[in-house]
Amino acid sequence: MRKVFLLLAMAAGIALVAWSGWQNWHQSRRAAQAQQAKRVDLIPDASSSATDPSEAESPLRGKPAPAFTLIDLSGKKVSLSDFKGHPLVLNFWGTYCAPCKLEMPWLEEFSKKYASTGLEVVGVTYDSEVGAKTITQNTEKLGVTYPILLSDPTIEKAYLSDSEVLPMSFYVDKAGTVIEVTAGLGAKDELEARVKEAIAAGDQ
Amino acid sequence: MIKHFAIVAALTLCANSAYAQIAGLDAPAKQAYVVYAAEPQVVPAGKPGTLELHFRVVQGFHVNSHTPKSELLIPTTLTLQPAGGVKAGALQFPAGKPYSFSYDPSEKLDVYAGDFTVKLPVVAAAGEHALDASLRYQACDNAACYPPRNLPVKVLFTAK
Repeated sequence: MRKVFLLLAMAAGIALVAWSGWQNWHQSRRAAQAQQAKRVDLIPDASSSATDPSEAESPLRGKPAPAFTLIDLSGKKVSLSDFKGHPLVLNFWGTYCAPCKLEMPWLEEFSKKYASTGLEVVGVTYDSEVGAKTITQNTEKLGVTYPILLSDPTIEKAYLSDSEVLPMSFYVDKAGTVIEVTAGLGAKDELEARVKEAIAAGDQ
Repeated sequence: MIKHFAIVAALTLCANSAYAQIAGLDAPAKQAYVVYAAEPQVVPAGKPGTLELHFRVVQGFHVNSHTPKSELLIPTTLTLQPAGGVKAGALQFPAGKPYSFSYDPSEKLDVYAGDFTVKLPVVAAAGEHALDASLRYQACDNAACYPPRNLPVKVLFTAK
């Protein structure tokens, strides 16, 4: 009788361990699934249609935009402080980057549409080594008239932190705070919504 | 063939992580968007033969073809180091496929995606040969682009 009881107790113990193990596995799986659902893929799958640009993970979001001084296509120095008090879109692009060239005319359009709000759009050419002539060929073809600066390792380290994804945009409010960071091409109306956010933010 | 790519991909991953460990956080491993499947090949000695260089663009990406539609885009090219006993002819690149970003279907790019093969006509003296080459390409996915990269390639073949 005692043996039977002991066996039963052992069986119950094993069942309990197995059940709690299963529960634990199930819970961690659910947590992993929830995590997966929240994950934003920067590199969309080939089979999927183009996704909206990821709100890129950037340590700069909510932080003051790092200062920079770069030269423009005419060799003139341009600094972040030149845009103090203005909402600013800082757009990193490359001459080899087709999606960049799709959104640059949109940025040009918004720079004009919202000029009365003080909005400034600045392009930073990632592959500045191609030279001012090639860059100008590109921007003229795209109809871009906003300032185009030549990137350097300092601004790349400060803003891109080793990411090489283009296009990459930083939306800075009037107070100089980075309110949004995006990587990759998205829909035009979403880009405009972010521009409006940058204009509206930092008023206080 | 698939096995070859799997091995190459695994080696690339290993190499990348080993590199990342050595280099530390300052220099993260650069992702490769194209891999090369090295397959030993045989051509007739002293006669015209053709080597096939098999490449695969990593899924989810595309690279400009050898003849992109805009002179402002970076074409896929292969540079070959001269090697003794091997006379190399003009490289033959495959035609690209049309590709457009969904935000602007009107603009068609000319790209390689998935597998593509570059053909290299050679006349080689009898024996084992190794040709060093470098594939230069520039990759994008459906929303973003990545800087041009160089992929070192070693073409091993026997002429007999």
